Amino acid sequence: MEPPVLERLKAIDDLPTLPSVALEVLSLAHRPDVTIQLVAECIHRDPPLAAKVLRMANSSFYRRGDRQVETLHRAILFLGLAEIINITTSLSVFSALTSRRAVEVSIREQFWDHSVATGLMARHVDKKLQMRSLGREFVAGLLHDVGKIILDQYFHEEFMAAYNLSREQDRPMYETEMATCGTNHMEVGYYIARKWNLPPYLQDVILWHHKPSRAAFPDMAAVVSVADHMARAAQFSCGADTMPFVLADQDAWAVLKERGVDVNGLDVERMTFEMEAIGHQVKEYIETVMNPEEGGRRDG
Amino acid sequence: MDDRLKNPGPVMTDETFVLLRDFIYEQSGIFFADNRKDQLASRLAFRLKANNLSDFEKYYYLLKYDQNAARELRALFDSVTTNETSFFRSPPQIQAFQDKVLPEIMAAKERRGEKTLRLWSAGCSTGEEPYTMAIVLSQVMNGRRDWDVKVVASDISEKALRSAKEAVYGEYSLRSVPPEIKRDFFVAAGSSYRIVDEVKDMVEFQFLNLSDTRRVQLMRGFDVIFCRNVLIYFDDQVKKRFVSQLYDCLNHGGYLFIGHSESLHNISRAFKLVHFPGALAYKKE
Repeated sequence: MEPPVLERLKAIDDLPTLPSVALEVLSLAHRPDVTIQLVAECIHRDPPLAAKVLRMANSSFYRRGDRQVETLHRAILFLGLAEIINITTSLSVFSALTSRRAVEVSIREQFWDHSVATGLMARHVDKKLQMRSLGREFVAGLLHDVGKIILDQYFHEEFMAAYNLSREQDRPMYETEMATCGTNHMEVGYYIARKWNLPPYLQDVILWHHKPSRAAFPDMAAVVSVADHMARAAQFSCGADTMPFVLADQDAWAVLKERGVDVNGLDVERMTFEMEAIGHQVKEYIETVMNPEEGGRRDG
Repeated sequence: MDDRLKNPGPVMTDETFVLLRDFIYEQSGIFFADNRKDQLASRLAFRLKANNLSDFEKYYYLLKYDQNAARELRALFDSVTTNETSFFRSPPQIQAFQDKVLPEIMAAKERRGEKTLRLWSAGCSTGEEPYTMAIVLSQVMNGRRDWDVKVVASDISEKALRSAKEAVYGEYSLRSVPPEIKRDFFVAAGSSYRIVDEVKDMVEFQFLNLSDTRRVQLMRGFDVIFCRNVLIYFDDQVKKRFVSQLYDCLNHGGYLFIGHSESLHNISRAFKLVHFPGALAYKKE
């Protein structure tokens, strides 16, 4: 019998990597003495990345007002540190994970749609609930399902079997992955997150986004879990997770309540309707990340 | 050339959009997400014209402070809810009804040894909605004859009810109907389409004023209620009373669908809000 997926994964030596600059920027975000100068210098050490960040800051998605931003320094000033970190991470993650053997294009598309939708919705939910996660919720939303892309890439047959099983039986992916891979996308994601040396909060969210009450950063995991649900409700699901749900019955809801967040006062319907508009931004965002030149050139 | 230069109409600023959007949501429970700004602007442009106003800010003040505000509000509701109805309107709701709600309810009933289903289209207008429900129901039944199923359809307009009972529709009403459903459930009659008898006979029409508390009280034992874009015509107090009546009309485990982007947030806490892909529904546990 073949060894389990997680064991085989550990033996693979060409797993995708994140550019070191992206990781540094992510960790800079936690330093109390972080300055615009420090972040700008760090990104500049990877000139192609720096150019892309600047172009993205000037894209129609991020651009505020008419003025073209000429330097990273000014871009950080305009958009804020959190947003620049989001941009840097998105660009790095997309470039690390898109170019390789794209076996099943449709699943890839779903994956990115769902990831970006969850990131954008996490930002919205965070604002609604006044959690002040300072942009970290966006990165966490973007990366929460990273295990799925790894499974799809290196254990394609097993992953597709889980996908089909989930569709046929209307069961969540993490359950059917367990059945066909002997592991799930949370464990696989956690493994890669540790390998990449991602900040602890990201490792935590990747591992516990389906069970935020177990997380070491429960607030963040709960926000991402709510965003994950909302993304699915807005028809951005990755894989076959289209089951109906009651938000108020979710683990994340209990976590938020317990931590004193006023969830009962939240107008969930309104939040759902607002997500529709966010849904419209998902494709635009992905296009900008994949191809920042387009947005940057506009009326430049 | 910019459309606005060709056709200089009033422009809705983002600030005014938010004012109007929040006002409409507060008054009607209907929400216009940011991506629907142009839609709102084009619908309200007619109201501006009717009131001889030059911009949306003035219109907002009219709604808020004018002595005729109540009357204008009604006209506003008419223009923001597309009054026309069609088959398979708001497809994600129909999908949720077909794929999740009906199978869930039927499975629960089968476990209890019950084989009856009662659905209600409250405010059925010219019949597209109840016939859609009946079509879906007969698809889910898939030839099973041992279930006793019925769709009750009510409206306050005798004229609409007469037209509904005719069960004949033009091409336009069928614009969202998938071809195989058109083939199986409609019969071409000249340039129109007639609903097949099998589906027609499932639907029972009746006159009903939904604000008539005593009459509504007699409606009992429903498994699913569709009441879409109806609540906006009631004031807050009537709305609350009516929705709590709808709750009583439902069986345990039953579902209520209201209009897409309509909300019960400030109206009732009795239901469980259920998210489906692209649709919301309210469940009585």
